[in-house]
Amino acid sequence: MSSKAVFWWVGTTLLVAAYVAATMVVGGDRRALLIGRTTDAHHQIEMACETCHAAGPFAGAAAAETALNETCRTCHEDELNAADDSHPRSMFRNPRMAAYWEKLDARLCTSCHGEHRPEITRTGAVTVAMDFCVACHSDGEQDVRLDRPSHAGVAFETCATAGCHNYHDNQALYEEFLVEHAGEPALKPGPVHATAARLRALQPPGGTALERDDAIAPAAALADTTVLARWTGSDHAAAGVNCTACHAVDPAAESGPADIAARSGPTDVAAQWVETPSTGTCKSCHEPQARSFARGRHGMREHPGIAPPRNPMEGLERIGLSRVLPAIVADWLADPVPPTRMTVGEARLPMRGDAEAHRALDCGACHRPHDVDTALAAVEACASCHDDRHTRAYDGSPHHRLWQAELSGEAPPGAGVSCATCHMPGTESRDTVTTDHNQNDTLRPNEKMIRSVCLDCHGLEFSLDALADAGLIGRNFTGIPAVHVESVEWAVRRSAADRPGTAR
Amino acid sequence: MLTFTEEILLLLGDDEGAFLPIREHAFECALAGAALMDLAFAYRIDTDLESLLVITSEPTGNPMLDAVLARIASHPDAADTQHWIRVLSTEDAAAIREQALASLVEHGILERREERFLWAFGSVRYPTLDNGAEREIKARIARALDDFIPDPRDIALISLADACQILPELFPDRNIEPARIAQLRRMDLIGREVAGTIADIQRTIVRAAQAQAQRTQKRLLSLSIAAAVGAAAVLLAPRIPAPDRFDPGVLELFWFDGFWQQWSGYLLLAFSIAGLVIGVAVRKRLVSGIAGLRRWRLAHIVIGVACVLALFAHTGFRLGVNVNAALMGFYLATLLSGALAGVAIGAVHRLRQAGIGRTGQPRRVLLWLHVAAICPLPALLAVHILATYLY
Repeated sequence: MSSKAVFWWVGTTLLVAAYVAATMVVGGDRRALLIGRTTDAHHQIEMACETCHAAGPFAGAAAAETALNETCRTCHEDELNAADDSHPRSMFRNPRMAAYWEKLDARLCTSCHGEHRPEITRTGAVTVAMDFCVACHSDGEQDVRLDRPSHAGVAFETCATAGCHNYHDNQALYEEFLVEHAGEPALKPGPVHATAARLRALQPPGGTALERDDAIAPAAALADTTVLARWTGSDHAAAGVNCTACHAVDPAAESGPADIAARSGPTDVAAQWVETPSTGTCKSCHEPQARSFARGRHGMREHPGIAPPRNPMEGLERIGLSRVLPAIVADWLADPVPPTRMTVGEARLPMRGDAEAHRALDCGACHRPHDVDTALAAVEACASCHDDRHTRAYDGSPHHRLWQAELSGEAPPGAGVSCATCHMPGTESRDTVTTDHNQNDTLRPNEKMIRSVCLDCHGLEFSLDALADAGLIGRNFTGIPAVHVESVEWAVRRSAADRPGTAR
Repeated sequence: MLTFTEEILLLLGDDEGAFLPIREHAFECALAGAALMDLAFAYRIDTDLESLLVITSEPTGNPMLDAVLARIASHPDAADTQHWIRVLSTEDAAAIREQALASLVEHGILERREERFLWAFGSVRYPTLDNGAEREIKARIARALDDFIPDPRDIALISLADACQILPELFPDRNIEPARIAQLRRMDLIGREVAGTIADIQRTIVRAAQAQAQRTQKRLLSLSIAAAVGAAAVLLAPRIPAPDRFDPGVLELFWFDGFWQQWSGYLLLAFSIAGLVIGVAVRKRLVSGIAGLRRWRLAHIVIGVACVLALFAHTGFRLGVNVNAALMGFYLATLLSGALAGVAIGAVHRLRQAGIGRTGQPRRVLLWLHVAAICPLPALLAVHILATYLY
């Protein structure tokens, strides 16, 4: 190899390394750098590496691990608190638990949840073998078989896979809860989902209802009679939200629904008219929905915890290079390519062939903004993209028939079961009820759905069995469960043994 | 007039001062044989069926030949050609080479250049200053191989080159007919005694070189095969599945525990750098002497085997994805092509007997594949390491 060839070889090597280093630090398409397929839970944000890998460059292993685990808590701590985490970190930080650290260090999320390791990633993004309970519950005072004869012959790999236990969220398995709901019928009389009923009965917030002639928009926009008709019949018009509230927001006006009147009349509508308002406009009035949307798979890229790329200017300043950079490079470093929204084409679940692959998942993807039909967003919007067995089986399923009955007025509000009923149940606090836009809040594990959704209409035993039957879920609950989870019987027997005469 | 020793050195060297990669030990045997041929042509020695005899110990005027002659003459017992080829090739070859090269430098044909590579490898090279002499020697051989009547010295030189099996290397574009070589040997152009001595020397060179070569080449061949099989196993063997029980075994720790993966990675990197440095030193002939070349080449292949083992510890037959897959692909291509080149060198006789690679083409192709596969490795390794340590 001649000196010239060596020169080119070394030069190309350095250039490639520098380009990749710049991509890593500044941002850009980093897919080629992924060391393994990201879990389904995080693939939407896999290009925002700094979110999880928050430690600085060349940080030590301990610092990197600490930063990783802090990031887990940034996004998941509220969820774990809400689930009354059965194995909270605080419990394991107690020095008395030191003996368990060697077995399975439960102070760290990463002890069980690794990323980019598809080969060892199991259900729930768990990257240890599914018999992990054996680490702490197979001997000593924590041996589960000590006072539970029912568990004597049960293998540890079934703890978390048979529809019984979940490491974090065991609310559906609390023994008092199981005993309390024992013997309930599969279908309760007059089944109605209470929160869904409240949501369906919601009236538009106070405001002066607007008519067609009240619309403020440039002449060209007003000429679209279809859009105008949709808006006239919408909750937006009923709540006094004029066209300008979304399409020509006065920058001087305060944001939020309280200032809706001020947002309705900028001086020069045509000059400020925006054909496609951003989701920020929706968020200014629908903040709780936007907040929960950012926690789900659809809107995860908008989660406030998502970190921007590292700021390379700080490092360049330290070594005195920031001043010699050309302005164009400095500008690019200061504001590199912003992350894009999640699109249909990036989904890992099966999607319909006719779904727009490049369609960004913003508010308008599910809600037609001019008629704001929540019924449409509750079923048709989902089915227009999702093409998995569960979704395809919805048409004609018992839940679908109930939904049709509710829409036609044959059944009361809340009696129908739409996609949103189970996957986006409302949350109630004080006097308000809000649709949870985190579609995954009641999934993974799916027993999370039992308390907030299933029990409104079904008995606990039926619900546990149904959610443990993958085939039945695939058929969208058309039929009866072929799987039986014995948790309720075991809890009742144990309760009876503890308190003779009180158990059923 | 140049001696046979000087002529064979010119034929074995390239313009940059490196020597043709001829088979193990043949180089030293060729030098010893060339010195004996010079003495035979100077009518100082003769051979019979059992021994090599000194006709006269009168100096020839060439210090190198006189030293060899004095050594043979001072030997108390009569010994055969095989004995002297063995003794001179193992004990005097380096001195013969140095003196012959010094003579070529004096003639203004070569220049002496000392070099040092990465502090560890020191070498002296003899690049060509005037390649007229070499051209003239090759032209003489070429004429002899065509149907011209050769000079007796040309016949001796062709016998020597044939014994070293370098004729295909010297004339890659022509088909060397063994029948023509045999015909040249039979020509009654040299005195019977000298002809007998040349034939004896040639046979002895071949035998001695083969005996030595068998030992070193066997080692080279077995190590290369081990490396090739290991690299192919990494490529083709199914990955060892992840443990499905909570308490993993030791091997699983290597593949799924960051700590062990990191250390096996360091080890692999160290082996790779060592292999690269030694490979460059061997390829550029930056090591001292032929024996040094052999030792370092063997070390290079041993490191190749170690790389395969470290790669297994690091990956457990996993080929990775994205940049890592590219890195793994080029790394395995490097190991495989290197190992197969080692096989081609180690099994050169068998391959030539089978009519494969008479001009050394398989070895050259594999070595270039080896070099080509290495080229992207530093960039990919840098990306692999940066991706690990920046995040």
